[in-house]
Amino acid sequence: MIQHFPVLAVMILFLGAFLIEIIGRNDTVRNLIAFVAVTGSLILLAALIGPVMLEGQIISYWMGGWAPVANYAIGIGYEVDALGLLFALLGITAYWLSCVYSFGYMKGREHLSHYYTLFLMLAGASIGFFLTGDLFNMFIMMEIVTFSAVALTASNTEKLTAIEGAFKYLINCSIGSAMSLTGIALIYLECHTLNLAQLSAMLPGSLSMTAVMAFALLLSGFCVESAMIPFHASFVDAHTVAPSSVSMILSGMVLKIGVYGLIRCCYIVFRLIDTAQLQILLTALGSLTMFIGVTMALAQHDFKRLLAFHSVSQLGYIIAAAGLCTSLGLTGSLFHAINHTLFKGLLFLCAGAVIHSTGTSDLDSLGGLSKRMPVTCCCFLIGAFSISGLPPFNGFVSKWMIYQAAYTKALETGNFYYVIVTVTALVVSVMTLASFVKVLHSVFFGQLRSVHSQAEEAPKIMLVPMVIMSVLCVFTGVFYKGFSKLFIGPAVYSAFGNTSYIDSMMGKGYSELFGVRALSPDALSFSCWNPYIWLVLFIIVFAAAALVLFVNTDSFGRTLEKGMSYPSVYGTGDMNRDFLGNTHVEGDPSEKYAVFFSGEKAEYSHAGGSDLFWGFKYNWHKYYSLLQGLHSGSVNDYCCYAVMCIAAITVFMFIFIR
Amino acid sequence: MILANYIVSFILIALGLVVLCTKKNLIKVVLGLGIMDYGVNLLIVSAGFNEGGTAPIYSLSDLLNGVSPTFFVDPVPQALTLTSIVIGACVDAMALAIVIMIKKRYGTIDADELRRLRG
Repeated sequence: MIQHFPVLAVMILFLGAFLIEIIGRNDTVRNLIAFVAVTGSLILLAALIGPVMLEGQIISYWMGGWAPVANYAIGIGYEVDALGLLFALLGITAYWLSCVYSFGYMKGREHLSHYYTLFLMLAGASIGFFLTGDLFNMFIMMEIVTFSAVALTASNTEKLTAIEGAFKYLINCSIGSAMSLTGIALIYLECHTLNLAQLSAMLPGSLSMTAVMAFALLLSGFCVESAMIPFHASFVDAHTVAPSSVSMILSGMVLKIGVYGLIRCCYIVFRLIDTAQLQILLTALGSLTMFIGVTMALAQHDFKRLLAFHSVSQLGYIIAAAGLCTSLGLTGSLFHAINHTLFKGLLFLCAGAVIHSTGTSDLDSLGGLSKRMPVTCCCFLIGAFSISGLPPFNGFVSKWMIYQAAYTKALETGNFYYVIVTVTALVVSVMTLASFVKVLHSVFFGQLRSVHSQAEEAPKIMLVPMVIMSVLCVFTGVFYKGFSKLFIGPAVYSAFGNTSYIDSMMGKGYSELFGVRALSPDALSFSCWNPYIWLVLFIIVFAAAALVLFVNTDSFGRTLEKGMSYPSVYGTGDMNRDFLGNTHVEGDPSEKYAVFFSGEKAEYSHAGGSDLFWGFKYNWHKYYSLLQGLHSGSVNDYCCYAVMCIAAITVFMFIFIR
Repeated sequence: MILANYIVSFILIALGLVVLCTKKNLIKVVLGLGIMDYGVNLLIVSAGFNEGGTAPIYSLSDLLNGVSPTFFVDPVPQALTLTSIVIGACVDAMALAIVIMIKKRYGTIDADELRRLRG
């Protein structure tokens, strides 16, 4: 009975997609079908937690009963180990929350039945990707994800540029999937099978040139999917312009497809991760990605674009930690993958709520919304604290694990390089916090703009997913020990070459036939910081703040009114540009920042400009002009970077991995 | 000659990538995508080729009458190729549909002018 659950969990989503297209004209019926499909899938996958996570079973299912003949897999199999189930559960949770949010956010738009059809297809394909045990099936699921993600991005009629983001996303993902498909063809040439379990028995050990080439291409394909530098640019564009409920999925979930593929590929199928050079490659890619992601985020003026660059940066953490090949590193990586979905999803939903009530995502024209939208503000605070790694929120725990793992690695190998990785991770975390201070200042604090003085709190149906995600953020941060023991521990075990993965699929004793030995994980330890004491401190601080807030009946800040005069920085005018090329639309830009120049004119003032981090940006202006030039927006340039990077990865593999 | 197939398929993939990197016309970019797909398809279908093999089609009566299916081309890559052709066609169709929308909204299909999202 239980072995049918994974297939049903995928089927119910696709079935829902088709049903909506057929009978989903009516709003209620359509929402009901979407909700039932997502909930059903969630329940089916949750029912697998017991057997897979707790008892350590591995569920295998052969489509149409095509079991292996003479030790050769001939059918398509689904195989669910703890690693796959972890990602699938994460995915379906994100889809469930996004689906509920969509009921409020997308309400009243046109062609909603197409939206939900594509949404359910996206959900089904990404869950299928995590559960399948067949390499070609993984490719197909990846392509369905790309289609539906592109169509959903392009469907945003509120943004003119949506179509441009969708096109770049499609071209970039197609390069990635074409590379993966070439790798798959080469693997078939080598092994004459595409079953992951059989491949992980046959491939490791002695790799031929063909297999090395296949590995390089698969790796670069998954690097494209997980938005590593330099593949990230078009992903950022797409995340910016998609509807917020979809941005949350694209950023929180679809990028994890690349992460999962990478872990599955490096740890299980090729088992190459214990090669020192591959570890250096992955950690270098990851560190570079997190640094460039966060510095680019500091320079952004669009709410969602800023969040998208932070996503890239956080993905850097995940890949770098996964590249360390220690159990603590992989634990941190998987934990951060979960946390990233939770807090980045939460932040995108908050951005969506802000857009929903004010109609703009331009940071320079927002301000003081905390009074109008208190719940959104609280949720955003929790998300921002989580992503910047403040205790006791979840980002702190996973980042701490990553620092600890990287530093331990440095001590073990004596390689100074890993110290640099650790320091980069720490510095990036600080810059993340800095960047979110800017967002908080620009959007929720400061003075309320007169244009938005009537902004309303988002409808309740949108607040429910946001609150659930905030609770989850705090929950996973405080109860990290139990959480990682229950969910992440089994996944780490299964990633480190659990031979039962092969045996349960191909029949007992198959792994011994090929002499498979598991990578040795050091004893699993989840010990790190004790967050409880920080939680108490935070409660005290919040209580104090709340007390001040409630006792003081005067309203905070000032509401801007017409006719009030403020020191002008840029002169008046609708459109101003400072020397960094930042545009300021809508009235006087100095209103919000007047406090920083104490009334002086900007040209006589040291601090200020349109940005909290004006000085930082000024000192780094050479770096920024270089990077902003590289993010040129031209699809040809992005393809060029991708091709160069893929070529570099391939050459690297041929030199170092034999 | 099967080696020629492999060489040509990689040449096609490389050509597709060159087109993606150099051509400014978006329709040509989509064509480059197509060329890349064809290269990959050629590679997959060549992977299952056996020189002198028959088509992998046998009916039950053949098998019962003692026709021994010993040497035939591998059917799996052919199935994979069919699937991948369908997917490739979908990608191209979708990309072209998006190009039409770009022409409607931006009034141009030059990649250099499709740069409102940048920095």
